[in-house]
Amino acid sequence: MSDDPLLEVSNLSAMVEGFEVTHGIDLEVGHGEAVALVGRNGAGKTSTFRSIMGLTPVASGSIRFDGEELLDLRPELIPKRGIGYQPEGRELFTGMTVEENFRLPIWTSGDARGIEDEDAVVEDVFDVFTELEDRRDAEVQNLSGGQGKMTAIGRALALRPDLLILDEPLEGLAPVVVENLKRYIREIIDRDISVLVAESNASHVPEIVDRMYVIERGEIVDSGDPEVLAEDEEIQMLMQGGGE
Amino acid sequence: MLGALPAADAALPAIVDGALARHALNGVYYGFILFMIASGLTIIFGVLGVLNLAHGELYALGAFSVFSVVGFLTGLIAEPTNTVTAVVFGIVVLAGSLAAAAVLLPVGAAIEAVFVRPIDDRDEVYQLLLTYGLLLVLVDVMKFVWGPAPLEAGVFRELNAIPTTELVGISYPSYNVIVILVGLAVFGWLVWFFDRTKTGRIVRATAINREMSTAIGVSTDRTFTLVFAMGAFFAGFGGAMVSIGPSTAYLEMGLDPLVLSFVVIVIGGLGSLKGALVGALLVGVTSRVVTPYYPQLELAAPFILMVLVLLVRPEGLYGTWGEIE
Repeated sequence: MSDDPLLEVSNLSAMVEGFEVTHGIDLEVGHGEAVALVGRNGAGKTSTFRSIMGLTPVASGSIRFDGEELLDLRPELIPKRGIGYQPEGRELFTGMTVEENFRLPIWTSGDARGIEDEDAVVEDVFDVFTELEDRRDAEVQNLSGGQGKMTAIGRALALRPDLLILDEPLEGLAPVVVENLKRYIREIIDRDISVLVAESNASHVPEIVDRMYVIERGEIVDSGDPEVLAEDEEIQMLMQGGGE
Repeated sequence: MLGALPAADAALPAIVDGALARHALNGVYYGFILFMIASGLTIIFGVLGVLNLAHGELYALGAFSVFSVVGFLTGLIAEPTNTVTAVVFGIVVLAGSLAAAAVLLPVGAAIEAVFVRPIDDRDEVYQLLLTYGLLLVLVDVMKFVWGPAPLEAGVFRELNAIPTTELVGISYPSYNVIVILVGLAVFGWLVWFFDRTKTGRIVRATAINREMSTAIGVSTDRTFTLVFAMGAFFAGFGGAMVSIGPSTAYLEMGLDPLVLSFVVIVIGGLGSLKGALVGALLVGVTSRVVTPYYPQLELAAPFILMVLVLLVRPEGLYGTWGEIE
């Protein structure tokens, strides 16, 4: 395995509706590493993730994945390179079943990901999200909030990604569902898949990731050990809207 | 306005026993013609979000193409003399109609890739202006290729040589029966394609969430080209089916079906296939049942129906904006 980071974002400035919303973001995710990007709502987490996926325009900077510059690629080629993405909203394909939502990425990118046995991959995803097993034929608009999030993560996982980008996977869920989902995410990390997760609640992060970045007003303001940073009073104030 | 589409009921005496059933059957026949045109329009709108004003000209192009393709193919075989040769003749004409509609595949693909794609993220008014411009260009192209005079494929008489089918207890022209069966087959194929095939479900995913489909590896450019080509194909197939009937292909023939197709998909719900079928049958049956008894309502009937449906269900009968269902 290469010592170079799997994902290397350098000096990234993302644009939304003509305005620069992130300013010189630098972050890295190593092979098999779990990293969090923590910040309040509107701090720039989603814009950063969407830029990585090619869905939000970039004013300047670089996004290298496995040594390749992603900004040179058309957006639909990015998942084929091995990045699975769970967006902030569930954004599932309504009118289709849970299983169909898992199969779609395989149909579109399975060849590029070297997937030969489609059924095996789908069953593998259900093995992670055991709770979805008896909902496999349910249309996704009929799922609960937690099941919807699991389906969105499962859909990204069905790509057999090297890097999984999870945007606020725990947001808006009941505490018991949050604990289940954390367990599922840790299981994914244990499979040696790198994870980059956005969170607005710093207290969730130490249980999931190895390292974290703190983002505020579109800039990375701190980074390091999640156990230490989550307890840091300044960071806690920042998360609650104070600080400065 | 409605008279611009094939007046198959001319083949039947208007006032005979079972006249109402006959009018209703003519409405079903007419509805399936409308469905073939409207299905393409609703697919294109459902996936690309483009209201294609040139859709009627794609229908006309299918009608003109069938004149050349079917004319060539039927020139290769003898005129039917008995039931077997009549059925063979019918199969050749249907194959020719499909081949004529296939001409629309590259035409639709080129229109999407060259003209529609560059203004994809612009306001709808640009799409309307562009597709209206394409409408005018296509009329001139057809005039250049086939000339200004109406053309007739000249196979209607032979198609009706296929023994008259007994349908719901009354005799009925074989051509009309063929159109109804073909319309049903088109609907069945489209439902199968969008519900069962990988490509169909990828297209649906793109219609439902364009960004997320990109994030799982869908090339929206390719999907849109495919969908526009498919929509053009079905419009062309509708035109071909009309042109092998009692109607001629003529330069202005695209306008009325375009307007009625808009009525159909508004009634059915924009982007809904099921809605296009139900809307087309409602418009077809209503207009064909109402017109013989109240001819003064011929133009108004489809629009009155549309207003009534929208008053009750503003989103249409199966309204799923942006989702094919």
